[in-house]
Amino acid sequence: MSLVIVGGFLINIPFIPILEQTARNLFFHVPMWMAMYAMFLISLYHSINYLRKADWLVDIKAEAAAKTGIVFGVCGLLTGSLWARFTWGTWWTFAEPKMNLAALALMIYVAYFMLRSAFDEPKKRARISAVYNIFAVSTIPFLLYVVPRQLTSLHPGADGNPAFSEITAAELRFILYPAMIGFIALSYWVYDITYRAYRVRYISEQTLRNPI
Amino acid sequence: MYLTQLLFLVTNMFQDATDVAPMDTLSEAYSDKWIAAANQGEGFFASFMSSNNLIFVVLGVTLIIWTVLIVYLTRVDKKISLLENQLNHSSNET
Repeated sequence: MSLVIVGGFLINIPFIPILEQTARNLFFHVPMWMAMYAMFLISLYHSINYLRKADWLVDIKAEAAAKTGIVFGVCGLLTGSLWARFTWGTWWTFAEPKMNLAALALMIYVAYFMLRSAFDEPKKRARISAVYNIFAVSTIPFLLYVVPRQLTSLHPGADGNPAFSEITAAELRFILYPAMIGFIALSYWVYDITYRAYRVRYISEQTLRNPI
Repeated sequence: MYLTQLLFLVTNMFQDATDVAPMDTLSEAYSDKWIAAANQGEGFFASFMSSNNLIFVVLGVTLIIWTVLIVYLTRVDKKISLLENQLNHSSNET
């Protein structure tokens, strides 16, 4: 299944270099955030599921998805920073709400891992971090969609207009949407690897603690 | 000889902060001022990146994604090898 996903990602690449110059960053920078949202949604789903089922595998899935989401969020921040240096003039500006709130959203998720590391007992850790995760996810739409659209911003989509309006060239969409699907698929693959690694770690911890 | 030149190049590469006109982004509304398209600075890094219609910015962006993902996957890989070692040792002991 992973191979199919990777294959689907590879097909996207020849399509990408069609349009001109830094507008191409759209195909890399924006899907990073879409992949992050997808991962955080998966994490939310598993956290809710944990509160219903109390299965340790589900908890580990939520942890792996949050971790992968952070990795893609960091990618998005770094790429955005480089892009901003050559189109807006600075690496970082505090007058840009979306940029700063995205950094804040990532910090909320870093706090999720700090919270996890604070507990030794697996069941307690899983339950409390599941509750925290549900709260953390609920901040994301407000931080990244509601607030930036109320303020002036350099990002498209500020001042109340939708991000993808008629001013954006229509051809961009033919690449952007496959790129989003491709990067979300890639992030799902990374998530799967992380999940399996965490699962093996958990099992080995248990067997080392209570040898058969 | 070449080494000192290379060192000079590398140290100059990232010192382009002073080349760009300092911008007051805290007190003034910064929106709608895309200042950098005209003023990219003089440093080696800045002039290289802004050559060829900024195409190297796109290269940089893809390289960033690539590096972050590779670093992350390598770390997961290391973690798994550590676990494998532990499991092998523990199965040898028992």
